[in-house]
Amino acid sequence: MGKRDNGRTRREAFGVAAALGTAAWTVTTVAGCGLLGDDSEPAPAPDPLQPILDEALGLVTAYDRAMATQPDLRDRLAPLRADHHAHATALAGLIGTDLPSSAPAAPAAAASAGTDAVSGLRRAEKQAHQSAVAACTKAPADRVMLVGSVAACRATHTEALHR
Amino acid sequence: MSDPLAAALAAEEAAIYAYGLIGVRLNGDADTDEARTAERTHRDRRDVLVSLMSRLKRSAAPAPAGYQLPFAVTDRASALRLAVHVEDGVAQAWRACLPLRDGVDRGTALAALTDAAVRATRWRDRAGVTPVTMAFPGRAG
Repeated sequence: MGKRDNGRTRREAFGVAAALGTAAWTVTTVAGCGLLGDDSEPAPAPDPLQPILDEALGLVTAYDRAMATQPDLRDRLAPLRADHHAHATALAGLIGTDLPSSAPAAPAAAASAGTDAVSGLRRAEKQAHQSAVAACTKAPADRVMLVGSVAACRATHTEALHR
Repeated sequence: MSDPLAAALAAEEAAIYAYGLIGVRLNGDADTDEARTAERTHRDRRDVLVSLMSRLKRSAAPAPAGYQLPFAVTDRASALRLAVHVEDGVAQAWRACLPLRDGVDRGTALAALTDAAVRATRWRDRAGVTPVTMAFPGRAG
């Protein structure tokens, strides 16, 4: 029994230690490859609702621009802008991200309106509605009610801008 | 009511009843045409729900003969207010159907929610209520 160390022979113990050493080396090598290799760490996939959030922020910018150039439209446009901001806040909360501090670009549809700001906004709302409908179709059950409300709201904006 | 489909059916029944009262208090072709179209749409959606629920063998409470109105409808202003109220209620009921995995497809529920929200927007506009939109149609409160 004197040959045994904790129930193992010396040779067995050496074998285990050698195996562990190999395993440790393998782990180091694999980790080393990850650290030194070409950025193989995949970037996390963007949240499927990120484009809907980006659109909401883009529409906020578009409304700000329209109200700045045509202040007489402020009463009519400010509540619609507030809706988009509420969407952005709710979507950012759902995604788990912060709202950007700088204003994002307005959608191209709104920017191409020239002097008729309202028809440009209407086009942008229509496009944004379509993408929210598509997102609603694919959204998981725990997100679908919020996305559905965003889609419905964008449709009401198109209606409100028709008046 | 725990079954969202049954709740949507109840909301559509209530809307059909309400438009019967709203119609007689409105004046002008634009108002009455809008109310008539709305009533027809709610009847169609009611029919879809009735056949859907019978196919799914779900039970629904029979529609009551009358409803307790949230306020008296005595003139055009109160009729328009009731129209907004019922469309908001329909939007809420359909929004709750969006997460359902069986029964109604999501596109139908979203179309009904959107339709009610857009109609509520038009009625608010006619009633001179501002803002005409809400950020989250169908969300209670």
